[in-house]
Amino acid sequence: MSSCGNPDSSEADALMPRRLKYGRSRDCVRCREKPGNIVIRHAVYCRDCFSPLVTLKFRKALQPSINASAGTSKRPRLKADGNLLMAFSGGLGSSLLLDIVHRIYFSNESVLNENEEPVGGKNHPRNADVWPSATVCYVEVCNAFPGMRDSTEELRTVVSQYPCFEYVATRIEDAFDRSWWLRVGGLPSFSQLSVDIGNPTSCDLSIISALFTPAERSPTDCLLAYLSSLPTQTAISTAIQTFIRILTLYTARSRGASHLLLGTSLTSLSISLISSISQGGGYTTREELQEEWTQSGIGSTEIAPTIRIVRPLRDVTMKECAAYARWNNITVVGKQRVPATTQGIHSLTKDFIVGLEKDYPSTVSTIARTCAKLAPKDAPKGSCLLCQRPMQHDIQEWKNRISIRSFGEAKLASDLHTPPNPHNNMPPPPLSSQSIDQTLSLTPHLCYSCHTTLTSRSSRGLKSTGSLPVPLPVWVSPPLLDSARVVNPDEDRGEVFQNRQPMRDAIAEYLLES
Amino acid sequence: MAPASCALCQNAKAILKRPKTGQQICKECFFYVFETEVHHTILEAQLFKPGDKVAIGASGGKDSTVLAYVMKTLNDRYKYGLELFLLSIDEGITGYRDDSLETVKRNQQQYDMPLKILSYDELYGWTMDAIVSRIGKKNNCTFCGVFRRQALDRGASTLNVDHIVTGHNADDIAETVLMNIMRGDIARLGRCTVICTQGEDTIKRSKPFKYAYEKEIVMYAYFKKLDYFSTECIYSPDAYRGHARAFLKDLEAARPSAIIDIIHSGEAFEVKEEIKATQKAQQTCMRCGYMSSNELCKACTLLEGLERGMANSVITDRARRKMDELRPAPDILRTIPQYRSPLPAVSVEVAPQS
Repeated sequence: MSSCGNPDSSEADALMPRRLKYGRSRDCVRCREKPGNIVIRHAVYCRDCFSPLVTLKFRKALQPSINASAGTSKRPRLKADGNLLMAFSGGLGSSLLLDIVHRIYFSNESVLNENEEPVGGKNHPRNADVWPSATVCYVEVCNAFPGMRDSTEELRTVVSQYPCFEYVATRIEDAFDRSWWLRVGGLPSFSQLSVDIGNPTSCDLSIISALFTPAERSPTDCLLAYLSSLPTQTAISTAIQTFIRILTLYTARSRGASHLLLGTSLTSLSISLISSISQGGGYTTREELQEEWTQSGIGSTEIAPTIRIVRPLRDVTMKECAAYARWNNITVVGKQRVPATTQGIHSLTKDFIVGLEKDYPSTVSTIARTCAKLAPKDAPKGSCLLCQRPMQHDIQEWKNRISIRSFGEAKLASDLHTPPNPHNNMPPPPLSSQSIDQTLSLTPHLCYSCHTTLTSRSSRGLKSTGSLPVPLPVWVSPPLLDSARVVNPDEDRGEVFQNRQPMRDAIAEYLLES
Repeated sequence: MAPASCALCQNAKAILKRPKTGQQICKECFFYVFETEVHHTILEAQLFKPGDKVAIGASGGKDSTVLAYVMKTLNDRYKYGLELFLLSIDEGITGYRDDSLETVKRNQQQYDMPLKILSYDELYGWTMDAIVSRIGKKNNCTFCGVFRRQALDRGASTLNVDHIVTGHNADDIAETVLMNIMRGDIARLGRCTVICTQGEDTIKRSKPFKYAYEKEIVMYAYFKKLDYFSTECIYSPDAYRGHARAFLKDLEAARPSAIIDIIHSGEAFEVKEEIKATQKAQQTCMRCGYMSSNELCKACTLLEGLERGMANSVITDRARRKMDELRPAPDILRTIPQYRSPLPAVSVEVAPQS
């Protein structure tokens, strides 16, 4: 419909006249004395004024979230409810995060004034213990992709520069490791739940249950089976991000953390926001910016601890991060580029935003500010079992209404008017024999984005895994089995089986006849 | 390899892969699901009631040509009881709109619908050719977009219709969601996924193709052998939108559901209440009576700029204030005729069913 919008490079300059790279003067806009060293969105800063500017933005973004309640004081004493956990990838943002947190909150180097009193007062974070302890968590992903090197020890060396930080390394395959799950305090489950996502035409995700056996697949095998079953590069990249996030969250919980800090810069945040919206995650835009996570599936007698996920570098662009790291001699190991995801939505968004930032430098800031003005439309139905973020109501009804995928869909049958049959000699379409609620399916427990990740296919050819069941991450099984018991409260079955064979295997030793 | 059978009817040979679902289906099933999805969209949003007079915004392009055909088909098939009209706006772009209007005139004959053509020249006294010769290509889309929106309402008013339907498709809406986020237009972001909008005294306006992929619209026109005018506007150099469109196409190539996923995102969020409270309330233009968020509506502001030879200085509100400070508007100024809505003053906003 749009008749406007032919990207013509020869016309581009005529349309969006470029502003000067910097304002009227080349001198620092803050001290107005020294010549500028860096241009940040048309403003020039000298090196000495630049670093305090970054730490100020950092503190402004973090400190309002430290105390559990805001209180009435304008400058309250900062005291967190629990410990601190920082996610570390070796990349630019998280390297900066470690360094700035260490400098501001853990260096214990009080600056004294002429009266030998600490500068900034006793409530200044430098002079007070805000968190009792701090842990740095790294999730190693090398086993997910061949050819990637293990960076665990390299990053341990980096973290050892900060003696007050404890280093914890987890591995991406822990997402399928029951022993890790029990170590971080997860509810035990005796079922290995698998899902059938091999059907390229169906959007339903049927659950297949099986008891653990001594010959069960290793966590790495499960991870590889899961990733190889995903239909697109976008799905692989999203799955890795989700796993890293959940592994970090459970590690934080097991460490008694009240805060999880991420090194997401303004540029990375804008990329995440646009990428998430492009994958149908509009309902959780708020969570992309700032999130409070409470583990689902905890017994009713326990008070579930809440972890605040904060991105203190959310107002600092990637360029500013790079300059800060360079001028403060911060070691940046660098993240390895994850192969097999370069054509995914996240990578495309990254290329687009980084490219756009060069010509339109305020775009990344605009994206983040615009998204901060948004809120979800309705109250959530619950939490998604896979990503553990709020889930919207009626997702499948919406999907079914928008795209007809079979003539058996209830919507067609209940149409107010009689739909014509496209083939007059065809028998009337059969109605679905089962509704979603009558069978154990993962579909109603997934948010729009996660369901799309598992079911939406690329146009470049259908990737079918056949009917091999794909194992699910360890945190999915307990609440899913609980929900199955709620659906059938009269049947205290303990485990739910859809196939005859697993049922038979489970009771085989009690059968007298084979 | 044996040809696949249709994933929907299982009977006929599949001849196409649906861009929206990736399913391999036959031609008849494609027509059926395409039309039925539009029908579901119309029903869910309760867009029409029997007896409504509906103007189809027709440019002669693929979207409006297919829209006219599908609206007529559905109106006959499901007995909506609508009285359909074609409404075209002649922006005055030589070599582009004059050719596309020929297509609309053919559609008028084929679909047997009354056609009303309203030109910028008769409404504003300016054609787009004249505007571009005055201001150059830069920002010309701002003039065209603002003028077209008002011209459609005025054309509909003269036809005395209740409703205007436009051929905006899923790609357009997804692109607009992204654009509004990237340029921080929170007011438009809040309403761009709404299927049906109606201001205080403007005519209801809706988008039945909200969930229809552009590729499927082309596919439908191709298999139905509908003729449409397919040239891009010769004055369309909106580079920023071009970036967004190219990005959306990349996303669609990576995962075709991206278009519908972006629309779902747009429907799932809303502007926070405290932000809404700071937005400007709607009022009536003191000069032409059309809805406006300022004393003067955007079309009157732009027209005044053109008439005073200061067109480039009225694109933004700040520039407009500067122009006023320089010297007030002269008394003798060509203005837009007073707008008279055919509707009683009501405020309705039909939210999409999600």
